[in-house]
Amino acid sequence: MSVEGRYFYPHSARFVAARCTRPQKRLLRFESVQGEALGEFRARKVRISERLGNIPRRFRLPDGAMFETVDNDGADEMLRGTGRGPGAIDRVERSWKWVLVSVAVTLGATYGFVTFGIPALASALAAATPDDIVVEISHKSLQSIDGSLLKPSRLDAGDKARAERAFARLLRLEPDPGRFHLLFRSAPAMGPNAFAMPDGEIVVTDEIFPLVKSDTEIEGVFAHEMSHVNHRHGLQRIYQASLVPAAIAVATGDASQLGHMTALVPGVLLQSAYSRAFEQQADDDAAEMLRRDGQNPGALADLLQRMDEKVCGKAGCRPSWIASHPATGERVEKLRAAGKQHK
Amino acid sequence: MPAAGGEVAPTRHDFEFHGRGGEFFRIWIVNLALSLLTMGIYSAWAKVRTQRYLYGNTYVGGHSLDYDASPWRILVGRVIAVSALLGYSLSVSFWPETIGLWYVAFGVLIPWLINSSLRFTARNSSYRNIRFNFGGTYAGALVNYVIWPILGYGTLFLLMPQARRARDFYYVNKHAYAGKPFETNFPAFRIYVAYIGGVAVFLALIFASFLAIGYLAEYVKSAKVLDASYAGFLIFPLYAIAYTVSLTFIDIMAFNLSLNNAKFDGRHELRSRVSPWCMAWIVVSNFVLILLTVGLFYPWARVRQSRYQTERLSLIVYGDLDAYTYELSRANSAIGEEVAGFFDLGIGL
Repeated sequence: MSVEGRYFYPHSARFVAARCTRPQKRLLRFESVQGEALGEFRARKVRISERLGNIPRRFRLPDGAMFETVDNDGADEMLRGTGRGPGAIDRVERSWKWVLVSVAVTLGATYGFVTFGIPALASALAAATPDDIVVEISHKSLQSIDGSLLKPSRLDAGDKARAERAFARLLRLEPDPGRFHLLFRSAPAMGPNAFAMPDGEIVVTDEIFPLVKSDTEIEGVFAHEMSHVNHRHGLQRIYQASLVPAAIAVATGDASQLGHMTALVPGVLLQSAYSRAFEQQADDDAAEMLRRDGQNPGALADLLQRMDEKVCGKAGCRPSWIASHPATGERVEKLRAAGKQHK
Repeated sequence: MPAAGGEVAPTRHDFEFHGRGGEFFRIWIVNLALSLLTMGIYSAWAKVRTQRYLYGNTYVGGHSLDYDASPWRILVGRVIAVSALLGYSLSVSFWPETIGLWYVAFGVLIPWLINSSLRFTARNSSYRNIRFNFGGTYAGALVNYVIWPILGYGTLFLLMPQARRARDFYYVNKHAYAGKPFETNFPAFRIYVAYIGGVAVFLALIFASFLAIGYLAEYVKSAKVLDASYAGFLIFPLYAIAYTVSLTFIDIMAFNLSLNNAKFDGRHELRSRVSPWCMAWIVVSNFVLILLTVGLFYPWARVRQSRYQTERLSLIVYGDLDAYTYELSRANSAIGEEVAGFFDLGIGL
């Protein structure tokens, strides 16, 4: 049993056509094809590269010489019983059955990690974040838009009283009402909107009030924002933003240009998908809160629809894969369904 | 050995790439599955297998390259890199003012990271039983990878081509094989030609995109199939294509310049005939195919690109390479390579 190849002299680029034999169980002998002896080593002192595809197998000898062969099958045959034969990984790679298993594992693990792993991790990290950090982040983000995007409110006393009334109704139902504060701002650039800071400050823009037809509608908006605060959705979003690229880098180990470009698109899609899930949860919670307060959750749907028409015209906004909110039509339908149960 | 000053007829050896997409797919998917099942730990072994496959299938003069790094050392580097990445993103999210500190720390570490990275890769790469080496210095990396780019941005990109040339010179000229240096040199105006060409390609593509969008919007409007503003969405992919094509154009022109003007050991030469257009087509079409196949095309894409780029290279040997021998030098750490790889410092030609 012998394997043909090339023998490179110690630390040299000079080589001869050579063969490797195994005269004894634990011994490897190298000789040129003319029969000139080149060396004899104990098999466990020889560093043999693992089989991989069809690339040449390399035997690094203790004296700095190297034997190289493209006869992978021959090398496996000769090395049988030395524990240096074909690796387990190579056998997996060469079997289409295991390759299919790998495809399934990869797709399954990716799906599982994306749908359960990252949200669970982000949620746990958000819950574990100390309150003073949350307060600091909230102050900083509010400061950064106050004065630029947000202007002082010029709301009339009636609307203001109406909003405060609705807010107070909800606080009665909250287990921790002390954390919530209502802030009024004018935001011509943003239009009708409301949003929450992670620590419980809820900002509502003046521009929303011309669209509001009943107290329940504005109450629904506040309930939606309180749900974001209670679940720390804002914080979770920060954690997700760090976890997604880290996970892609760890899984692929590829920091090349190709890797970056291809990671960008799923990264953006994922972030929006997570964000849509948060909005859905906040809608569900808002419907529940309104019901507990004896109101019809369908009121929030009416307001959403009016906001949508105001921003995007009669036809409504186009649904989009990369939108941070679910399509308004979808949200309205769900809320109306909740409203029907109410009646 | 040729006598000094003696005339030796050169032999041209074309590079060959023997890798196959189907074979690489199987290696890649097993790597990926095991990396996921081991929460990323196996990725160090996966990296070595990937590199070995690509190197081992690159042939010149009847011999293939070899990659021989220890996965354990890569694993240590990776753990450090991931911790740093997490630390960075968390601290910047919660305390945005720390971003300055991170940049200072990063700036101080960058030259060291770059050198360790290049040295690790070079020393674990071999050809005909002889390892490559990289002999950069902290000051050299600081000048060529930090100070030159700053000058490039500071002069509103006027000096960017010079910065690129300086970096590529550093990269090539600090590499050695069998203790003998690689050297490349070319006049600055040639890299300016490459950059001006790249900018012209970008402008031409953007102009063509606007024309195309204009016509499309006109057509859509008259046919009344869709809202005309939909045509506007095309600007993002078209911009991405223009950007990628022009960047690839510059990269390949610079790559060709460095290699075509390179000498090894003062006499052997390299030739690169990579076409920027073919490469741009390969990069863009690969990207589209990877997206359409939810990533599964990636191994074919990698093989396709490696095959094209490799098979446009030649080595011109004066005399032969038999006489080269290996000089021993001390081992070094993988930490630099992996940290640098993760943050994508853009090392390499």
